[in-house]
Amino acid sequence: MTDSEQPETETAVSQPQWPENGGQWSDEEGGAGMDECGLAEMAEEDEEIDIYNNETFGMEVGDTEGDPTNPLFKFGEKPPAPPALPSLSPSSPSFSPRARPQLRVQGPPGRRGRGQRGGQAMAQMFEDPAVVRTVEGRPSLQVITTLARSVVSKACREMLFSSYVGVSCNGDVLFTQVGGLPSPRPCPSTPQPLTPKMMQLRFGANSPRPSPFYSPSSNRVQRFRFPGPVTQLHPQHRRLLSQRQQRSQRKPDSWDPYCNLMSAKEKEWIIRLQMIQLQSENPHLDDYYYQEYYRRMEAKLAEEELGMRGKREPPKLTTPYVTKMDSYTPVVHIEGSLGQVAVSTCFSPRRAINAVAAHCPHELFMVLLEVEEGQRMKAQVLGEGEEKGLMEKTEIKVEYIYSQLQHPDLEAEEEFLPCLLVSKGKQLLARLLPFLSHDAALKVLSMVTSHLPVLMSRDADESLPVLYPSLRIVIGGMTFSQLIGVLKDFTTSLPDSSDGSVCLSLVCQSKFGLSLLYALLSQGERLLSSDVPLEPSIGDFETWTDTVFLVASQLSQSALVEPLLLPSNLLTLFCRYLDKRTIHQLKSNME
Amino acid sequence: MNYMPGTASLIDDIDKKHLVLLRDGRTLIGFLRSIDQFANLVFHQTVERIHVGKKFGDIPRGIFIVRGENVVLLGEIDVDKLCDNVLQQVSIEEILEEQRLQQQAKQKTEKAKVTALKDRGLSIPKADNLDEY
Repeated sequence: MTDSEQPETETAVSQPQWPENGGQWSDEEGGAGMDECGLAEMAEEDEEIDIYNNETFGMEVGDTEGDPTNPLFKFGEKPPAPPALPSLSPSSPSFSPRARPQLRVQGPPGRRGRGQRGGQAMAQMFEDPAVVRTVEGRPSLQVITTLARSVVSKACREMLFSSYVGVSCNGDVLFTQVGGLPSPRPCPSTPQPLTPKMMQLRFGANSPRPSPFYSPSSNRVQRFRFPGPVTQLHPQHRRLLSQRQQRSQRKPDSWDPYCNLMSAKEKEWIIRLQMIQLQSENPHLDDYYYQEYYRRMEAKLAEEELGMRGKREPPKLTTPYVTKMDSYTPVVHIEGSLGQVAVSTCFSPRRAINAVAAHCPHELFMVLLEVEEGQRMKAQVLGEGEEKGLMEKTEIKVEYIYSQLQHPDLEAEEEFLPCLLVSKGKQLLARLLPFLSHDAALKVLSMVTSHLPVLMSRDADESLPVLYPSLRIVIGGMTFSQLIGVLKDFTTSLPDSSDGSVCLSLVCQSKFGLSLLYALLSQGERLLSSDVPLEPSIGDFETWTDTVFLVASQLSQSALVEPLLLPSNLLTLFCRYLDKRTIHQLKSNME
Repeated sequence: MNYMPGTASLIDDIDKKHLVLLRDGRTLIGFLRSIDQFANLVFHQTVERIHVGKKFGDIPRGIFIVRGENVVLLGEIDVDKLCDNVLQQVSIEEILEEQRLQQQAKQKTEKAKVTALKDRGLSIPKADNLDEY
């Protein structure tokens, strides 16, 4: 790195050291665009260049003396400054000071008029950012070697990665390319020695891009493509960008030989990446400021132009980013589920098991809570008027829940079935039962008993017992006839079965079923042994007796699970009807 | 020109002279030539500037590739603005010497501090060791 100091100190006399030579930097700054100069400008420069060239290269090489940067000053423009340029002289020791090659160190290669000569092909060549300098005139061997040597030494010093130097002559133009960086496009008019590195760099992501760059009118640096179909910009945004693009194209820039290391393609790629990261389903939430900014701008413009052209159709505020989401309908929430839906479920939603979708037990629970709250309040001493009002409200709520629980599609008997299949539904019903009218409660009970086998088999998490307490209370209020009716469900056998009720055998295996059965029997016994007139319907007693017998025989035969509650009067009931032996068996089984 | 107004992007900073402060305390000045999505930076004609007191010195470093996570801050240098007259540029040897002296002095005070604390039964863990725990 000490090498680089040498030229700098040498040139200290003529110009301040880098990086303090701010005056020289300023030319390079500003983005280093090779922009569209105005034609007039270019013509002007052409003339100047011609004059200069005639003066210098028209004569023998080496005629002119002085600081290599002098021609540039003569040229009237500030020297584009990289320290490499002054290094030219010291690195060619073989030359006498007099024979210093008058290399026209050109800023934007080719653009300033020179590129116009020879037509488009030339322009393309010189548009190559890796071109450090161009030399024109009759190439002499000295020039070439000097150039090569300076370039190589500079390359060795400066470039970390492998550089290639190609020197070729094309007509009266000599140029070199320095740098391991690929030229973004092939120069068809120049045969170059292609090193493997170059080859490598010419393909893949660094492969040269076609047409847009071949037109000299393209603004290579400032030019960009809208980041592609993946991202959508706000229409206002798009307009803004195109406006800026046009504006910047008119602005002339000075040249930086090392600029455009990043091709426009690469810049685009990064922008695209960044925009993808900005994509969201809810831009108004996630990207509020962007949205707001453009909304306001749009509103302002619309307001301004409202008077001018009448109401121009305001461009629709499209969601700027999200386009690819249309391919599927996102499942954002599954009814009755807790928490977020997993991504996998979003894309392939499974059929909801236990979907009590239409019923939404949650909401019903809320209402139930209110009802219970009402009950508790009622327990407190209230004024009569208030109590009435409260009662009414409670009733309404209860009705509401009741109606909600009923599934409209099913038959009358099966209304509550979907609810009961879900454990939550069971809990809900259990808590609701106390509030229901006797008839409604009976209905529930009968429904339970008639579908008992189904319920028992589907009771995977053993939540049926939660219904027991409430049902027991209901049973406690049943009349004999009602009881008989319900009991029938237990004893009905399938038409083609011969060994008694399937239900009964299942019941023996289920805690809930057995408990329910016991409760019913107990109720019957209680009713019978009490003094309250039973008002039975015809055939009730017979049914009762039959039922008892059937149940007893079943119970004595099969192994019983332990019930939730063993009513005390059961044995007495059986005693009355059955013989001693059976009773004995029953007793042992039930305990 | 910002491709996405309302956002921060380094695209506009390309090919401009920048000053970057790294996490290890170094100050680099150079032309920003290339970036990527992690804000890794490629600097060209980089110069490491060492400041000691009112003096500073530049060490030319050539091309630097900085990993994005190590950047504390990055700012464009306005070349049109005049350089500060307060700071005095010195040669590299001198500034390195100054830096060495500064480090020495710092270590001395640090050592004294640690000894004093140790005498009182205290210890302050150094920031660079914290990651181990």
